[in-house]
Amino acid sequence: MVKIIKGAVHDMIRLEKVYKTFPNTTVPAVDKISFTIEKGNICVFVGPSGCGKTTILRMINRLVEPTGGSIYIDGENIMETDADQLRRRIGYVIQQIGLLPHRTIGQNVGLVPRLLKWPEDRINKRVMELLEIVGLDPRETARKYPYQLSGGQMQRAGVARALAVDPPIMLMDEPFGAVDPIVRGHLQDEFLRLQQEVKKTICFVTHDINEALKMGDYIVVLNAGKLVQKGTPLEMLSDPANDFVKDLIGDDRGVKLLDLTRAESLLQASTSETDKAVRECSCYIDAVQPVKMALEVMMKNNSDVVGIRRGSEVVGTLSWTEIKQHINKISGDQ
Amino acid sequence: MEVILNVINFILNNSSRILEYTINHFSLVFTVLGFSLVLWITVGLLISKYDRYAGSVIGLANIIFVIPSISLFGIFVTIPQLGLGRKSAALALILYAMMPLVRNVYRGVKSVDQSVLESGRGMGMSDTEILFQIQIPMAWPVVFAGIRVTAVMITGMATVATFIGERNLGRLIHHGITRGNEDIIIAGAVVVSLIALMLDFILGKVEKKLTSPGLRQSG
Repeated sequence: MVKIIKGAVHDMIRLEKVYKTFPNTTVPAVDKISFTIEKGNICVFVGPSGCGKTTILRMINRLVEPTGGSIYIDGENIMETDADQLRRRIGYVIQQIGLLPHRTIGQNVGLVPRLLKWPEDRINKRVMELLEIVGLDPRETARKYPYQLSGGQMQRAGVARALAVDPPIMLMDEPFGAVDPIVRGHLQDEFLRLQQEVKKTICFVTHDINEALKMGDYIVVLNAGKLVQKGTPLEMLSDPANDFVKDLIGDDRGVKLLDLTRAESLLQASTSETDKAVRECSCYIDAVQPVKMALEVMMKNNSDVVGIRRGSEVVGTLSWTEIKQHINKISGDQ
Repeated sequence: MEVILNVINFILNNSSRILEYTINHFSLVFTVLGFSLVLWITVGLLISKYDRYAGSVIGLANIIFVIPSISLFGIFVTIPQLGLGRKSAALALILYAMMPLVRNVYRGVKSVDQSVLESGRGMGMSDTEILFQIQIPMAWPVVFAGIRVTAVMITGMATVATFIGERNLGRLIHHGITRGNEDIIIAGAVVVSLIALMLDFILGKVEKKLTSPGLRQSG
């Protein structure tokens, strides 16, 4: 599998045998979980309700204190830092968004900068910039109150607020769970595009395996507080650890693979031959689009190969043979 | 028709006395409101932070509230340090204000949406920042409803304090009753009602000014 080469890899978030038992319960909500998240990656925690995914997320910004084990952010043990200071350095987005209803969107987005006592004109500038980034009209929206926004707009405002002081880490708890499927799809796409620019280290909680496969660089599958499997979406689909993971993914693993694998993960370096073919039919897709899109473009243009772009730059190609091999590999062990 | 004319005549003929009563009435109401707001809003905020005391404090407020006012005034008069007059009257009325104020502050703070608190905490707001920037502003409409009820209630109850030596509009009503003169009773009642309405109106305006437009939408 071709993995995009990143800069020097280093662990941004590290959990070591993290353990949480809530008062008046005997079964641990999170049971000795260890894993690391590298800088600039999206790590999705997925599993049924009560599997501990939200608890893990909330332990990373100390909204929940672990019973045992340790969590490191950028090498620093979070239990040795001030909780409020820690949280101001971590973006936090929840499903209910939690915009302050008595504050305008502008004030909501500028909340953390204001807590950090930025000068007022710098806050205003940053707010305008952020609203623009998340696709809201800065002039219109900044003055509005949360109740005047649609669900999708509120989610965008929530993301803008979390990005306000440019935190290296974002924690997102089912951030797109409350909007309808069409808007959710849009928000996911836009968020992935945004992530290409901002390169945050992101922990993302969802119960929707499709969302996990789409958004994650890594997926952590959890069940009853235990870590079941950690891997890339591709590894998850092609090599599920056990029946639980298989059930979670569903029976259509092969198709999901095409639907949900980003084109970049099957990306091949272009040769002069493929290069020519691509230029002839001028069929391109974006690196974060699913392989399914590549098939669609191939069928429309009657071509066996498509070019893959990241931004405006062509970074490689994807061919029908490649896709077929991939399906064979998957269905081979099914 | 005749009654109305009589009442107007009475008010005009006794304007200086009525003015004196009105000023006394106002000064009692404002003293009581001033102390009550500081005291009971603080208590309300404290019990919303230390939840385990909330039940007993609100219970106490309810018990005080159901004591007939005339008997509470009577009891205070017998305490030597209080005696007849302003001290007993003010103290009793402050105690009556406890229920609507403490309960509404507590209810207001507790009604703040959990997800808003969660996101505030998640963004690194301290407890004090959450209290002053989220809980109080969001509780404000409910708190203010309590303040308005209290103001109107105190204005009405203050009339009873005439029996323990307060020279206020209650005296007018009392005179009317003892002399069997309904014109005086109505005059007193009308002036008291006007004061209550006016206070409520002014407080309504203040509330509108102080409540965020983001909270004012109803649906």
